[in-house]
Amino acid sequence: MQGPLIDTLVRQGVSRRSFMKYCATLASLMALPPAAGRAMAQAMAAARRPSVIWLPFQECTGCTESITRSHSPSLEGMIFDMVSLDYQETLMAAAGHQAEEALEKAIEDNKGQFLLIIDGSVATGLDGAYSCIAGRTNLDLLKHVAPHAAAIVAVGSCAAFGGIPKAKPNPTGAVAVSDIIKDKPIVNVPGCPPIPVVMTGVLAHFLTFGSLPELDRLGRPKAFYGETIHDRCYRRPFYDQGKFAKTFDDEGARKGWCLFELGCKGPVTYNACATVKWNAGTSWPVEGGHGCLGCSEPDFWDGGGFYKALSMPADPLKMAATAAVVGAAAGVAASFANRAKKGGAKAAHETVTLADLEK
Amino acid sequence: MPLDAIPIVAVHGDAPSAQAGLVPGALSGNAPALLREIAEHLRRLLAGAEPAAIDLRAMPLTPADLDWLRERLGSGEVNATLLADGESTIVETACPGVWWVTHRNDRDVVVAEFIEVTFLPELLKAHPEDVQFGLEHLELLISDLS
Repeated sequence: MQGPLIDTLVRQGVSRRSFMKYCATLASLMALPPAAGRAMAQAMAAARRPSVIWLPFQECTGCTESITRSHSPSLEGMIFDMVSLDYQETLMAAAGHQAEEALEKAIEDNKGQFLLIIDGSVATGLDGAYSCIAGRTNLDLLKHVAPHAAAIVAVGSCAAFGGIPKAKPNPTGAVAVSDIIKDKPIVNVPGCPPIPVVMTGVLAHFLTFGSLPELDRLGRPKAFYGETIHDRCYRRPFYDQGKFAKTFDDEGARKGWCLFELGCKGPVTYNACATVKWNAGTSWPVEGGHGCLGCSEPDFWDGGGFYKALSMPADPLKMAATAAVVGAAAGVAASFANRAKKGGAKAAHETVTLADLEK
Repeated sequence: MPLDAIPIVAVHGDAPSAQAGLVPGALSGNAPALLREIAEHLRRLLAGAEPAAIDLRAMPLTPADLDWLRERLGSGEVNATLLADGESTIVETACPGVWWVTHRNDRDVVVAEFIEVTFLPELLKAHPEDVQFGLEHLELLISDLS
């Protein structure tokens, strides 16, 4: 059970060559130098399975869905199995008092060593009474477990930034993990849900180097959140040429032009969707024809409308930086485009949708 | 409304490059520099240095650049296919010691591409512990003979 990782993998029928290939690919994905792939393979092969305690707070289990279905049975999934997942309410067999005992035992056995994964925001309203497990508030549980963890990984936009529970008017007083815990290293892996390989990448980094990856100002691993969706978007050349889809089924949309004027939040969203993609590299939202919602950014739900072009913000203070990025000219063009769109949609469709009315 | 009434048109032609500002069909001028880098790695390899690798995905190269590079480097005597979690090809170029490594996943999508400068890529070697398993298997076969 506590042998080197490679032994466990070999028992599961994973060959050493596929493991090395996986490490090389992961290193490339994490923008590490190519030689790091070999170093990773060596370090990870020898690594012991770290204890992981996973606490779900105010969440929808979408993050767990994303990670457990990381194109199973992929190596990512297997490596995820290969950590010693000592407490995870959705996946564990134990229930009731047994489960809570498992949690206490895992904390006791691995004091200061385990990785604490949290998905979901922390309710603080009514002393945290909005979200309880076994009669205990999330707030209380977090304060009990966090001091013993080596590091915390806040999975999903809720744990990282408060997410949808924190959306206005935030009835439960939801906050991010980092609002409560100030004295532990915290890695934010936002997204609604996050990309599975980003999760496993953080785990791999912890296994390989015994440390956490380099983070940006919002606590996100730079390797995956270093560039915007827009920077790496395959539709970017159309943006540069000023070719924009104006409605969801006009000629521009059919030709795959830029979705900026349809409200794409790609230019201000840092995530790896454009390169890593989803569903085992099949596609991603923009390739599917819909603009980016910006789900890995703080307060994405309150951004002022998914179908409003970025340069006509509902919240001028928050989006001020955005306007500077896209430039005034594009801003004027887009605001005209939005006004014209309702008319355009009317002409193109029999019906006007809710989204059209929003503009 | 019948499904085929939905106007979805497949657009063929060059896929737009993921690299901003690069035109897919055109040379960016970055590839020739790589030839010099490879040459330097080869010199160091001959002088006893560790093997080196270049992550082609991390370079600002257009598809045309990659074609240009592949054509210049040519193909050598060894062409190996690794079937592990998808197909990988490990091809020696016309310059011995320079290998073009392409990793695909099990859906045949290229997930990583490297140029390795080494006498023999690590992936091709059998691991001693795997060899041990092989020996045990063979001994089992031999014991079944009697």
